[in-house]
Amino acid sequence: MMSKRTMRQVFVYGAVCLAIFLLPMLINDDFLLNRFARYLVLAMVSMALALSWGYAGILNLGQAMSFGLGSYCMAMALKLRTIPVHTGSEGLPDFMVWNNVEALPWFWKPFYSMPFAIAAGIIGPMIVSAILAWFMFRGRVTGVYVAIITLATLVVVNLVIIDQQWATGGFNGITDLAQLELFGITFDAYSATTYYLIAICLTVCLFLALAVTKSKAGLILQAIRDQEDRVRFFGYDVALFKTMVFCISAGIAGLAGMLYTIVMEFASPTFLGVQLSLSIVIWCAVGGRQSLVGALLGAILVAGMQGALSESEVFLDTWTLVMGALFVLVVLFLPNGIASLGEKLTEKFGGRRATPEPAKRGNSIARSTKLAEGK
Amino acid sequence: MEFLFEQFITGLSIGSILLIVALGLSIIYGSMGVINMAHGEFIMLGAYGAWALKAYAGISLFPSLIIIFIATALLGALIERGVIRYLYRRPIDTILATWGIGVMLQQLVRLTAGGELRYVEMPPSLAATVDIFGVDVSAYRVFIIIAGAALFAATWMLVNKTTVGMQLRAVVQDRSIATAFGINASTIYTGTFAYGAGLAGLAGALVAPLKSVSPEMGTGYVVDAFFVVVLGGVQSLFGTVASSVLLGQLSGVLAYWQNDTVAKALVLVGIVILIRFRPQGLFVTRVRT
Repeated sequence: MMSKRTMRQVFVYGAVCLAIFLLPMLINDDFLLNRFARYLVLAMVSMALALSWGYAGILNLGQAMSFGLGSYCMAMALKLRTIPVHTGSEGLPDFMVWNNVEALPWFWKPFYSMPFAIAAGIIGPMIVSAILAWFMFRGRVTGVYVAIITLATLVVVNLVIIDQQWATGGFNGITDLAQLELFGITFDAYSATTYYLIAICLTVCLFLALAVTKSKAGLILQAIRDQEDRVRFFGYDVALFKTMVFCISAGIAGLAGMLYTIVMEFASPTFLGVQLSLSIVIWCAVGGRQSLVGALLGAILVAGMQGALSESEVFLDTWTLVMGALFVLVVLFLPNGIASLGEKLTEKFGGRRATPEPAKRGNSIARSTKLAEGK
Repeated sequence: MEFLFEQFITGLSIGSILLIVALGLSIIYGSMGVINMAHGEFIMLGAYGAWALKAYAGISLFPSLIIIFIATALLGALIERGVIRYLYRRPIDTILATWGIGVMLQQLVRLTAGGELRYVEMPPSLAATVDIFGVDVSAYRVFIIIAGAALFAATWMLVNKTTVGMQLRAVVQDRSIATAFGINASTIYTGTFAYGAGLAGLAGALVAPLKSVSPEMGTGYVVDAFFVVVLGGVQSLFGTVASSVLLGQLSGVLAYWQNDTVAKALVLVGIVILIRFRPQGLFVTRVRT
């Protein structure tokens, strides 16, 4: 039996997904559609971050690592499907020929198989994140230190990928890719098929994440976010729960990364750059970190605005300024993002008393005990 | 032997730059708990200040240091009053807000000074090299090492030997009790943030002759500075010194042994492992809870 609140949430989430699916009917421009597909992919990563940050309190500044790893997995598989222009032995990718590589490295070979590549793009980031999460959360690393460790890990992976040019293409990344073919359908980056593929993945992931938050584990995660020690005293294995949500988030980000390669038609080290990783945090914060759909819309809104502003003549130079200011204002006045705007308005003008959210109540209790303990 | 010494000087030089860059961040983070992501942009502003004062007003590096310190400190005070003070109860959000401020500062500089690389001349008196135990060292690098030591000493004196410093320490220990004793905590916080920002500005001006100046230059520094502070232990100024010297030497050695990229990656891995096992930092023996 679903509660009234859950019902309302499912309704809103469904409506958003429906709108996403109906969009191509209104747009007849392939270029524009490709751009919207890109925003959807970014929305997916942002939503994944909301799952670990908003619901479990893990501020992952290295979210782009999973994204980038997924993206590279797809790029490797698609690269091997091209008919290479400059070929060495066994149809080596062009950049390997330029780097005087004789034979295909062993870890490239499984990527001849598309199912392997897709599995690797999701499970690979999950395994890396699991190791990292286990390493962190077993040691009860919390708060800011989680942010530092994830950020440092991201930088390390990024440096390694740029440095190992012979296997990864270095700064240039992996370019000139084939188009993905699955079940006889070709996914052209500039077509409605790719858009629908992304929309389907997004919908599935969104509802999967919603299910996670509604499960018992989801409740425990929110409790961990609000008062970690207490949950531990109750006998729950806090590290296990955190590792789990961290991995799910990484898996979704990995999938998004693969889709990003399909839309952009290349993979580059910037996909796991600090810049992108921080942007993901921004989208999530602007949209509302404690709302999956909020984070999703936040990404579409901010990335969309960024795209629109950077092209308009008036804001060509100043759009970064506008974004920075917007961001500071949101942090100051809407700590729970745009998603909380609706609630705030109904509270103020609607006359109907908004039901207090359990999460908020938990927060205020946590705060008052902290005060009582003299922290 | 000579080679070892040369290596040591290189490491010390890297370390002193790290120290100068990290000192302001250490003060702000250690005493206020605010993670100032705009720190790198203050450094960048300092560097641009040095460039602009030389290019437009003809003021050479040394006198301009004072102007730059005051200017960035004022800007820091303004930002603390306008934004940071509303976020003391939400420390994680300070990362986000200061990042937004950093983005704005970066773009403002790009719009006013242009995005191209700028170069700041070394003061002619320090352009030569000095002979130390048979090793030729750039005089400016020696100056940086001395400046780092001096800045640290000044900061240490300020925190530990002055009334203002004592008030700051009292506020850090317990804000409400300190306020009850008549200390104006909010002024102290503004002052601290301003001082930290001023130090960042100085750091920018000091390193400017060694590197090229660009709007994006701050990003790399803030990450490095942050790691120095965390490695040294958040509330320990001596820890900041020790860790910057250690990191400097380590990067120097690793860069000699491998290339720069690998050195950087290895240092980061080391830091990650360290945070996991000693989140309080290397050089802190007792942590107040």
